[in-house]
Amino acid sequence: MVHKKLALGALALALAMPFAHAESPPPAAVTASANAVDAASVQALKNMGAYLQTLQRFTVMTELSGEKVLEDGQKLQHSAAATVQVQRPNMLKAKMWSARNERELFYDGKKATLYTPELKYFGTVDAADTIGGMVEQLEARYDIEVPVSDLFIWGTAGAPVDKLESAMNAGQDFVAGVLCDHYAFRQGKIDWQIWITNGDKPLPRKIVITDRSDEARPQSVSLLNWNLKPSFKDSVFTFVAPKGAQPIGIRARDAK
Amino acid sequence: MKKSISKLLVAPLSALLLSSFVLAPVAEAKERGGGGGGGRQVAKGGGNKVKVNNNSRDVRSTNVRNTSVNNVNVKKNTNVNVNVDHNHRHGGWDNDYHPIATAAAVTATVAVTAAVVGSIVRTVPPNCVPVNYNGMIYQQCGSTWYQPQYVGPQVQYVVVAPIY
Repeated sequence: MVHKKLALGALALALAMPFAHAESPPPAAVTASANAVDAASVQALKNMGAYLQTLQRFTVMTELSGEKVLEDGQKLQHSAAATVQVQRPNMLKAKMWSARNERELFYDGKKATLYTPELKYFGTVDAADTIGGMVEQLEARYDIEVPVSDLFIWGTAGAPVDKLESAMNAGQDFVAGVLCDHYAFRQGKIDWQIWITNGDKPLPRKIVITDRSDEARPQSVSLLNWNLKPSFKDSVFTFVAPKGAQPIGIRARDAK
Repeated sequence: MKKSISKLLVAPLSALLLSSFVLAPVAEAKERGGGGGGGRQVAKGGGNKVKVNNNSRDVRSTNVRNTSVNNVNVKKNTNVNVNVDHNHRHGGWDNDYHPIATAAAVTATVAVTAAVVGSIVRTVPPNCVPVNYNGMIYQQCGSTWYQPQYVGPQVQYVVVAPIY
């Protein structure tokens, strides 16, 4: 009897040990079906989207690593960075730079202007009256993408969560020292992961997107840093042509 | 919460920005393409930034069949009207290997001698003179005229019929 108790005690201890450092108790069943859409993960995405939509004025800085797939499947990685200043609903300024291309985007609610400081060329088009509309318009019509454009779509009808084929909670992780909840999703040929700040301000801090349409699976990694009390003035959103800058056209996607 | 967060952010952020500035010339020194058009060096508006030189770059490194994407929601108009490459989708705001740009890079080597009207190049020869005509800016390079325009996020040059 005594022996039995001791044995049980040792067993319990042995069982407990591996989990002693876990942040949370392990789930009872770890074998979920491969394509299940976990409702709580989808809800986390909705909560983040709703929270993002409440942010009226902020600066978000992102550093991105992207990949190019060469003809034979070899991959090359490159990096780029951007700073995006936002005043909802209809003002945005983005500065993007890499060794290959430095440019700025100004959006004041009426017009969108792309400026290339190196060449002193700028192009202006009439723009939709919301950031989300402008983002979609530039992408669809002119093949110009706005950095971290998902931030303006999440929490709106443009980011339907019912398209998710798989959603799972991947545990917790630190991003730049901040505790985040880690989620992974699949939709179509895209696998993506997001790290959302744990707590009542669910800001996304890291996004990884894997493109499964190519067998080499090129992947991008974006790290995000937030400033929710930015000091910029509204004048940053208005493009004023620097001395010597020249206007040029922006070619529409279907132009020949 | 906000305050502490933004304070906390300052350090990693500046590290982030610093690293991208510091690393860029080294890590990406082989990135910028002359595009075969003579590798024209354009004066930087910013001044003292280190310039990228890709003269040693292997041509294979620009033969891109695909790229990563960096947004989840924006519709991808995959493969529309792209007559050059296979399944090339544009890969986000960091992508400089735009389908048309890729085609243009190929054209560039030809354009130096041929300069077919309507062809697009990524760079113009070094002897070009900017000409402002009827409110439009052109680059006149001998008898060949180029009109700069944004194709996607990048400035490229279309060969146009001589203006005069």
